[in-house]
Amino acid sequence: MRLPSFFSKKRGERRTGLPAWGSLGEAIYYLVLLTAGLVIGGLMLTGVAVSEWRINNQFVEASGRLIGKGLARHTTTDIFGNRRQSWRPAILVEYQARGKLVRSWSSGGLAETSSQRETAIAQLAQWQLNRPVSCWYDPDNVTTVVLKRGYNWWLWLLTLLLPGALVAFGSSGLLHAAGGWGRSEERQAAEVWGLLKRLTRGMPEASGFPAIPACDNLVNSPGTVLRFRLPTESPEAWTLLGSGLFAGLWNAVVIVLAIGAGFDVAGGRADWWLLLLLAPFTLVGLLAIGLFFRRLLRVTAIGPSHLEISDHPLRPGGSYEVLLSQAGSVAFRRLELRLELEEQATFRQGTDVRTERQVVCSEVIRCWNRVEPLPGTPFEAELQFRVPPRAMHSFHSTHNTLSWQLVLRGQPDHWPELKRVFPLVIYPSDTTAAMGAAPVSWHSGQGAAS
Amino acid sequence: MMRTAAGLAPSSSPPLSPQVTVDFNVDDGNYAPGDNIRARYRVVGVDRHAVTAIEQSVAWYTEGKGEEDLGVILFERKPLERVEPEPASAEPLVGVISGKLPPSPLSYEGVIVKIRWCVRVRLFFVGGRDFVSEHVFFLGDVPVARPPEPAVS
Repeated sequence: MRLPSFFSKKRGERRTGLPAWGSLGEAIYYLVLLTAGLVIGGLMLTGVAVSEWRINNQFVEASGRLIGKGLARHTTTDIFGNRRQSWRPAILVEYQARGKLVRSWSSGGLAETSSQRETAIAQLAQWQLNRPVSCWYDPDNVTTVVLKRGYNWWLWLLTLLLPGALVAFGSSGLLHAAGGWGRSEERQAAEVWGLLKRLTRGMPEASGFPAIPACDNLVNSPGTVLRFRLPTESPEAWTLLGSGLFAGLWNAVVIVLAIGAGFDVAGGRADWWLLLLLAPFTLVGLLAIGLFFRRLLRVTAIGPSHLEISDHPLRPGGSYEVLLSQAGSVAFRRLELRLELEEQATFRQGTDVRTERQVVCSEVIRCWNRVEPLPGTPFEAELQFRVPPRAMHSFHSTHNTLSWQLVLRGQPDHWPELKRVFPLVIYPSDTTAAMGAAPVSWHSGQGAAS
Repeated sequence: MMRTAAGLAPSSSPPLSPQVTVDFNVDDGNYAPGDNIRARYRVVGVDRHAVTAIEQSVAWYTEGKGEEDLGVILFERKPLERVEPEPASAEPLVGVISGKLPPSPLSYEGVIVKIRWCVRVRLFFVGGRDFVSEHVFFLGDVPVARPPEPAVS
């Protein structure tokens, strides 16, 4: 007698398995996440949110009088044995509750807790003894009293963020597992789940051509000479944006730390560790600003590149005219325009999602040596190119893409290499039906006309 | 002339090791976009009363470095009725799947992305286990892609 095997086996083009076990494992995993989210959310809501809601909705208002005040100290010990203290104001209030005179201490909420004793003392100074105040007591326990009401939105946000993410992740995964229960991958793809996946896919499909991206965004800008002006996908623009964001965020952190350190020094309590940490942080911040401005200068000095094309989408074997325009004041040692096909594959590696790219076809359309700018006039060239007659069409699925693009590469004087990408969409040829030829490799032209 | 593709199993395989053969209606299994595909399959080596359902599909899928994507163009599920009691039967299961192929995606043999077309026959057995046999054919005649050689300056 054989024990049941819970995993699928693949032998060549044949596979066997128990798909229900896979779906069950997946469902249990997401159910655990969903349950954890609900339990943690429930605990946090009852611990923080419900008590705040009760103060605002169920506590009874009364008139009282301040008859004493002090500081409430809370001491915690971390895993290294270091003790930390926090402080908050504590007020002794006298008030009438259910016909009786009650005296009770009211401590402020978490928002009034401070690690600095001086801050807590300053907060305490706002309360004056023997002054009449409004207070709210718990009808279930009249000795529980507060002097302030209201909601802390950030506390609610923190309370709901983690359990909310767990509930959303767990429930969506559970729905997915339920949708695939007992269904083969082909059945899922053919039925409603496949339709949902197609609808939620980032890039829309071309009408009548499954798995080919639509080119609506590539034909909505008319050219000045030719029919369409192609949008640019410039890697340097993303690099500029990234370096700008990094420089901004990093220096914001440095400024916050510097202000804190400045207050400490002004108060006569220099935190030497913080000051030592600030020196390299400031250096990195200055370098990031320098790098950002250098990239900004490069982008503005080299100038924009424009490309217009006579028709879109393209077809294998078709000839197309393009108009290249390169503005700016920088001279190029070499400038070339290529037609490229790039494969993009997205995969998981551990917990990371990676995308690998591979150029499999790269044909030089035109190459220029020594391009000198004329003042006030952009460099312009009208060219013609032909798509290889048996070229693969553009393709896009969830994890795999085949992208055709015109790539402008330049070697400017005194600047790093320039690369600007103009995406294209190629449809299958009308003559793809011609069958029978043995597969041959792409021919990759490397010749350059200068 | 018909092309036959088979998921073959050795004769000494355990009982749950069906052999599936598929006959395509064109030479060499090469189709053009918009062609009508007609694939006839035959399953032997299995007790037909142990099979609860058969799914037949025409699909494309990706292979290579990226995670697999799947697109199903034709799909049909055929539940098999069972009559109790019934003797074991070695009679072959046969079926046909036919339909019009779309204009894309074409079969593609790239470096890190490959697109394959296939006919899949999936058998579901009593007890929940399944068995799938895959038979590749070609759509279009796109040449094999190779990375370009580095430019010589």
